[in-house]
Amino acid sequence: MLRHRLITVLTFNDGTLFRTKLFEPDYRYTHNFVDSWLVDEIVMLDVTRKEGDNRAFLDVVTQFAHDCFVPLAVGGGIRTLDDVRKFMTVGGDKVVVNSGAVERPRLISEIAEAYGTQCVVLSIDARQTDGGGYEVYSACGRNATGMDPADWAKQGEDRGAGEIMITSIERDGSLQGYDLDLCRRVADAVSVPVLVLGGAGSWKHFVEGVEEGGASAVCTQNIYHFTENSILSAKKFLAERGVPVRL
Amino acid sequence: MIGIIDYGLGNLTSVAGAVEKVGFEPKISGEAAVLGDCGKLILPGVGAFGDGMRNLRQRNLVEPLTELVMKAGKPILGICLGFQLLAKKSEEFGDHEGLGWIDAKVTGLKPDDKTLRIPHVGWNELYQSADSILFDDVPDESLFYYVHTYKMEPADPSIRIGECDYGGRFTAAVQSGSVFGTQFHPEKSQRYGLTLLRNFLEKS
Repeated sequence: MLRHRLITVLTFNDGTLFRTKLFEPDYRYTHNFVDSWLVDEIVMLDVTRKEGDNRAFLDVVTQFAHDCFVPLAVGGGIRTLDDVRKFMTVGGDKVVVNSGAVERPRLISEIAEAYGTQCVVLSIDARQTDGGGYEVYSACGRNATGMDPADWAKQGEDRGAGEIMITSIERDGSLQGYDLDLCRRVADAVSVPVLVLGGAGSWKHFVEGVEEGGASAVCTQNIYHFTENSILSAKKFLAERGVPVRL
Repeated sequence: MIGIIDYGLGNLTSVAGAVEKVGFEPKISGEAAVLGDCGKLILPGVGAFGDGMRNLRQRNLVEPLTELVMKAGKPILGICLGFQLLAKKSEEFGDHEGLGWIDAKVTGLKPDDKTLRIPHVGWNELYQSADSILFDDVPDESLFYYVHTYKMEPADPSIRIGECDYGGRFTAAVQSGSVFGTQFHPEKSQRYGLTLLRNFLEKS
């Protein structure tokens, strides 16, 4: 039986891991993190807000990928196939696209044609609207796009995205739980796996993401949850509640 | 040296990293002469079947590799798309001819449970349906990482050594003489993935 995945998302600013309680970034922890902690998959995102230079991030990915024997998805600022090639060369197994795909949706098909659909994760950031719906935002949540996340996810799937990652901007960092309505709308709109991100603050939020949100994988950015046995503890909690996970 | 066949598709860096991790020296190359000097070969790959074959042809690799594998008996491990390319033909986006080292056909995954999502992405069992050197120290029903939309079914069921279940059983691993293949990614399947890879490199 296919297991639901627990995915850890790491965000980097100019090559420095942030949004953590680690004051000193130390990428050597990856050996323990990946090999002993039962993490199913890792997403590394570059959220540096200056354009162009991502050498520091590429260096970090290179170091990280060397000892990473689980799937590694990499993203941040991807706009061309050349950007994709750079991320794949340093050890990415798939890439995460967001604003680049909003600006030029053909980017999704270009990557799918060159590397296969399994290589493209379409990341969608959304906010609630006054009318009870949702709207897609690009550029790290700064630009409203007028698009509905479920429609955009479906379009992404049609263009060749192999997975959809849906993030609630309001829930980001809130620890209040995922936006399950948002996740369910997207999961119902597509037949590819959906990854949910934004708001997980306790193990029960992971169960809700799967059962109520319809997610194939639950993600968290707040890696301070993950010390020593915490991934194992989260997975045991999921398993006890009937969610199939890898233990 | 372990030759990792570079034909412009696939996570070569990941495969090379795993080969190094289990104590062998990887050599990434798209040149038949270089690959010929390697003791064993790995055909990695992600992407579409048609593109894979086109790239192998463009790099003039099909004939020399067939010579090395089928005539000289150099052990090879195909992974994911590299596993499917071992087949005679595929139905992915039209009909395509494959390397034909295994009498098999590649068709779309069609789970009998319509709620199952496609592609099949994530950790799932490997049921060991026959003995193989690949499985030494790998417990039956260990979890491996899969990501695929198509599957390869060999005409001769006796070469099927592993199966997986996703709305129906499909072939997850084959062994035919010195030709090995896995639908899952051993290089991305943590401990048992690395064990299986080391078995191929040490024992094939």
